[in-house]
Amino acid sequence: MSSKPTTIIPGSEKGVRVDSRLLEERIQNAVKDGHRQIEIIAQGQHGIGGRLWRSGEKPVFLSILGTPGQRVGGMGFPNTVIDVVGPVSDDVGWLNAGAKIIVRGHATNGAGNAMAQGKIYIAGNIGARGMTMTKHNPRFDPPELWVLGTAGDSFAEFMAGGVAVICGLGSKSDDNVLGYRPCVGMVGGKIFFRGHQQGYSENNAHLTVLDDDDWRWLTSQMKLFLEAVGRMELLSQLTADRDAWRILVAIKPYKKASPLRRDISSFHVDVWDRELGKGGLIGDLTDQDRSPIRLIATAAMRRFIPEWENEKYLPPCQAHCPTGIPAQQRWKLIRQGHTQEAVDLALRYTPFPATVCGYLCPNLCMQNCTRQKADLPAIDMKLLGRASLNAALPIPALPTGHKIAIIGGGPSGLSIAWQLLMKGHAPVIYEMRTELGGKITETIPRSRIPDDVLNHELKRLEEQIPHKHLKHPLTEEEFRSIYEKVDVVVIAAGARKPRVIPLPGHERAVAAIDFLRESRRDQAKVGKAVVVIGAGNVGCDAAAEAFRLGADSVTLIDIQEPASFGVERKHAEAAGAKFLWPRFTKAITKSAVELTSGEVLPADTVIMAVGDKPDLSFLSEEIRIENGFIAVNDNFQSSDPRVFAVGDAVRLGLLTEAIGAGRVAARSIDNLLRGREETIDQLPQIDPERVHLEYHDPRTPAFTDTETCAAGCASCGACRDCGLCETLCPQNAIARRPLEDEAYEYVVDADRCIGCGFCANACPCGIWRLTENDPLE
Amino acid sequence: MEPDGQIKPSTLSVKDLPWQILWSKEKCLLCGRCTAVCPVKAIGLGVHRMRAIQVKLGLTEKPGNLFSVYHGIRQHTDAAHACVGCGMCSMVCPNGAISPIHNDEPDKLRFHINQGGAPRQRGGRRNKRLSLLDEIKFVRISMLTDPALDAGRHEFELRTLLGRILPPEEAIRVNREGGWSPPIREIYPLIIGSMSFGALSPTMWEGLQMGVAYLNEEMGMPVRFCTGEGGCPPRLLRSRFLKYIILQIASGYFGWDEIIHALPEMKEDPCAIEIKYGQGAKPGDGGLLMWYKVNRLIAAIRGVPTGVNLPSPPTHQTKYSIEEAVAKMIQSMSMAWAFRVPVYPKISATSTSLAVLNNLTRNPYASAMAMDGEDGGTGAAYNISLDHMGHPIASIVRDAYLNLVKIGKQNEIPIFAGGGVGKNGNLAANAAALIMLGASGIQVGKYIMQATAGCLGSETDRCIICNIGLCPKGITSQDPRLYRRLDPEKVAERLVDTVLSFDTELKKIVAPLGRSTSLPIGMSDAIGIADRNAAERLGIRYVV
Repeated sequence: MSSKPTTIIPGSEKGVRVDSRLLEERIQNAVKDGHRQIEIIAQGQHGIGGRLWRSGEKPVFLSILGTPGQRVGGMGFPNTVIDVVGPVSDDVGWLNAGAKIIVRGHATNGAGNAMAQGKIYIAGNIGARGMTMTKHNPRFDPPELWVLGTAGDSFAEFMAGGVAVICGLGSKSDDNVLGYRPCVGMVGGKIFFRGHQQGYSENNAHLTVLDDDDWRWLTSQMKLFLEAVGRMELLSQLTADRDAWRILVAIKPYKKASPLRRDISSFHVDVWDRELGKGGLIGDLTDQDRSPIRLIATAAMRRFIPEWENEKYLPPCQAHCPTGIPAQQRWKLIRQGHTQEAVDLALRYTPFPATVCGYLCPNLCMQNCTRQKADLPAIDMKLLGRASLNAALPIPALPTGHKIAIIGGGPSGLSIAWQLLMKGHAPVIYEMRTELGGKITETIPRSRIPDDVLNHELKRLEEQIPHKHLKHPLTEEEFRSIYEKVDVVVIAAGARKPRVIPLPGHERAVAAIDFLRESRRDQAKVGKAVVVIGAGNVGCDAAAEAFRLGADSVTLIDIQEPASFGVERKHAEAAGAKFLWPRFTKAITKSAVELTSGEVLPADTVIMAVGDKPDLSFLSEEIRIENGFIAVNDNFQSSDPRVFAVGDAVRLGLLTEAIGAGRVAARSIDNLLRGREETIDQLPQIDPERVHLEYHDPRTPAFTDTETCAAGCASCGACRDCGLCETLCPQNAIARRPLEDEAYEYVVDADRCIGCGFCANACPCGIWRLTENDPLE
Repeated sequence: MEPDGQIKPSTLSVKDLPWQILWSKEKCLLCGRCTAVCPVKAIGLGVHRMRAIQVKLGLTEKPGNLFSVYHGIRQHTDAAHACVGCGMCSMVCPNGAISPIHNDEPDKLRFHINQGGAPRQRGGRRNKRLSLLDEIKFVRISMLTDPALDAGRHEFELRTLLGRILPPEEAIRVNREGGWSPPIREIYPLIIGSMSFGALSPTMWEGLQMGVAYLNEEMGMPVRFCTGEGGCPPRLLRSRFLKYIILQIASGYFGWDEIIHALPEMKEDPCAIEIKYGQGAKPGDGGLLMWYKVNRLIAAIRGVPTGVNLPSPPTHQTKYSIEEAVAKMIQSMSMAWAFRVPVYPKISATSTSLAVLNNLTRNPYASAMAMDGEDGGTGAAYNISLDHMGHPIASIVRDAYLNLVKIGKQNEIPIFAGGGVGKNGNLAANAAALIMLGASGIQVGKYIMQATAGCLGSETDRCIICNIGLCPKGITSQDPRLYRRLDPEKVAERLVDTVLSFDTELKKIVAPLGRSTSLPIGMSDAIGIADRNAAERLGIRYVV
């Protein structure tokens, strides 16, 4: 204190300590009374020297003797100077807002806690948590804490501003002048210190050296500090060596953004792989590249790959045609403008394209047309069949001289003869009837097939194929003699022997096959009431014919739901036939059919249509027969390798099945004669689900000409070259590549393709298929 | 199905599926990325026919039809291709045109994914969102009553002990007289795993291991990883990183002959050996690694030929009683490392857990007990096991701890708890709750997969196709086309971030309790719950 006090305020009266509240009141009153030099003899009172704003612009000097309590100078004002003649307790200068506080001894914990302005000069050491939570308000100078000795633990926690100077006087070489873990949470301010310091919060503070400005400031301010505490003799010692001092400053928040961690990539290379070896954890077990890839990958990293499976599967029409006619290919030819070629193609497969495809066939091609799954009408094959009447004859292969005898000139016999002829062989047909055509000309009602169509196609056959009309059933001797003269014998004798159920009165019934044969020649006679036993397609034909011949009523009975279908059934129903089932016949009387149920169906004529079987009495016992039919392998070869059998002699079936059998058998005979082995593999049928029908008009009416048929064909499994895939591919990975002649293919650039499957899901014809890429180990 | 096709009992519409694809024709670019990325081929390009009726005003002309075709994204409705809700389509869509949304009512698919009589199997987690652990609050906050700590300011030693701790008098005796004392590891209270090499992809596994090594060597955090049953890559067995590994042995014993062969070449002992008897996701059920996942790599690590089925039976074949199971296995495994390595069993949390625990307390070589609760995750399990079997972890941990207290051994044999820790994202809170209920540490798998690799699974049946090897993030797939989507370095980095943030959060919980030098294991007076029954059952405060 520069001058004598004008008042002395004692901390005790008559040996009794003055309460902190009263001492505060007395100090405030002293200032109010104009005292500016106040001496206080403290006795543990709290907060001495703070809040003396009443002093106004005229500074007030407090000299504290005795033992002050905590928070000396707490909330101190800029007009206040406090000189503590001795040590202080905790929190000296707490929330100091400008006072200068001189402590001529040590300070315990919390020195300068939360101060924002002013200066605290400590001539000794300080305890823990000094200079914590201090601030710097830009309106004022920053607060300062000067400590001649050392600081205790947790120094400068959450320090947010101000300057601390720790002179380290009296510390030993291995003492920490800033105590244990200083600067935790420090966000602002600066700490000058002199002496050893092991450790500080590196997340918050940055250790550096003094620059010229720092040094200039330190040395000039040091003088003021030492003067204030009366230790000027130390000036030279404390300012002798700039290098003895260091500074801790708060790390700027924007520099703190990234934690101080080793880069993981460097850890990977320098630590991980170094310890484990090249390739890391499993580098010794696999060569598989494990480097990161893009989420949407191409080439080998695609999960799926598209395949252009053009014509790798049969369209359902062709797959279901027993004759094997490539219906779809014919429509394609028409689309390409090769209509005649499309028509001509038929004769390579069947000698009856108009008769069968156009009229008599139930057209399994149409029944299985993919379009129907979307309720679109099937492509009308009958139109193309009928158009094939004028097909040009295929040119046969060069003659081979091989002779083949064909027993029977029905559909299967004619088919095989036709095919063998085309292959250059010399077939001869042996037919017991006077005309060729078998069932077609013998039992199928005229209403089903116009004569001119049938005659045209028969004529075409008769002109091409040599045939002998035996006019009597073949005998065993005749068969043997034929067998000796030729290379191969084909039995295509059909099933001409009607089956008969041995019911009482069965002799009264006429066999359907006999009835139809007669009716075709208009020589059959029926009564008014007709009952047909057996309601299959032959029964239906018989019923329709019975009506034509004058019957009033025709009733068809069957032991189960009738298997009849198609045109035959429709004709019979249209004519007025009644169908009853299940019904079991007990007996046939003169005027009725009696049923096991007791029912009696009046019948003037009874027709039995329960199937036919072959008459094979001409065969020797060497040829194996099963259930009345000739046993054959898949190539229609019988137990005698030189004897083949086709048609109803092998199993009852449709005309198209007989014709198809002829084709297959002809091919195996050709192989046999030429000494060639061939396995006949048929391509599998395409899954109709692959074909997209949304591209077709759902309101197309029934087809009336071949052009609209051709346009409407879904082209299942065969590319229509529409180019949609090329356009649709989001990666532009699909390209059309021309091949020789007019051929082409669509190819995928693997390096562009991401395996999205758009091509497969959009292809109108179901050509593209998305498959899983080959597994990678 | 075709809209006009025939229906079968199991014919479903989009409305019947758990996840429905919301697609915007307006925004879609038709870039193909969604269909290329969809793991289960739930979507594909659709061809659609549109029809406009053209009517001239005044009807002056005959009205006409105009058909057109557009292409869009169509969702498949057959069970095999039902959308799993993973949302990868949204992730790759450049225009935000597609996203799966959850059905607003219970789906119908659940009644039909048993075709051929095979019940549903899946991976992932229980389809139950509730977590009792989430309900537990930390109610004892020290402020003025005793010195509160500051999580940021104070140095914390969040460590726990894995190993048998001798009672003081015994420890003093051993110290004085010499002799064997049980191995003890001071480790971080969060153990990663158990997740096998095979269940996880090579990139995921390596990433996690690398992260664990980083945490240990760069951050000084002794985090441990349990291998799961599937062996351990030979290089890892022979590296110093082995000390960060808990090797698991389970009923399939896969890879163990390779581990035995590596014994002479080991630089370090493993942290511990876990004997797996059960897991929480499918208690009492075994597992099967399907033959097609057993590629060259998996086969080499497991010590089997490629392309064979690898069954892990529900039980170890040569164990006939608890006594046997505990004594025989623990002894054998301890012997392999000359009794230097802690050995403990892991069981499914069960109402019979205490019987096992009592047995362990009498076995001087038993180092700990791990229990996996009903919320545990798995690579593959029957739906029925996942959703309906198993014991909640909280009460069984509490029972076990209080049982130890009763016999005065609560400081001697640590309990490790797993199964649903962090199932709703509250990893640190759940961990702290379990610790205060009596666990010495926690085991965590699913949370780690979500946080480190972006696993999309959820308790609402999202994704969880871990069992079919088609993980869209490459976490549980053995297909390079999928697992190369995952960068091990990034996984490692995320693991470090995850553990560091967990560490801070755990400190934020335990610091206000005034704990810094030891974990508050069993400090049940610090927790409370607003459910009187739960409070009573767990012996904690009922707070409302």
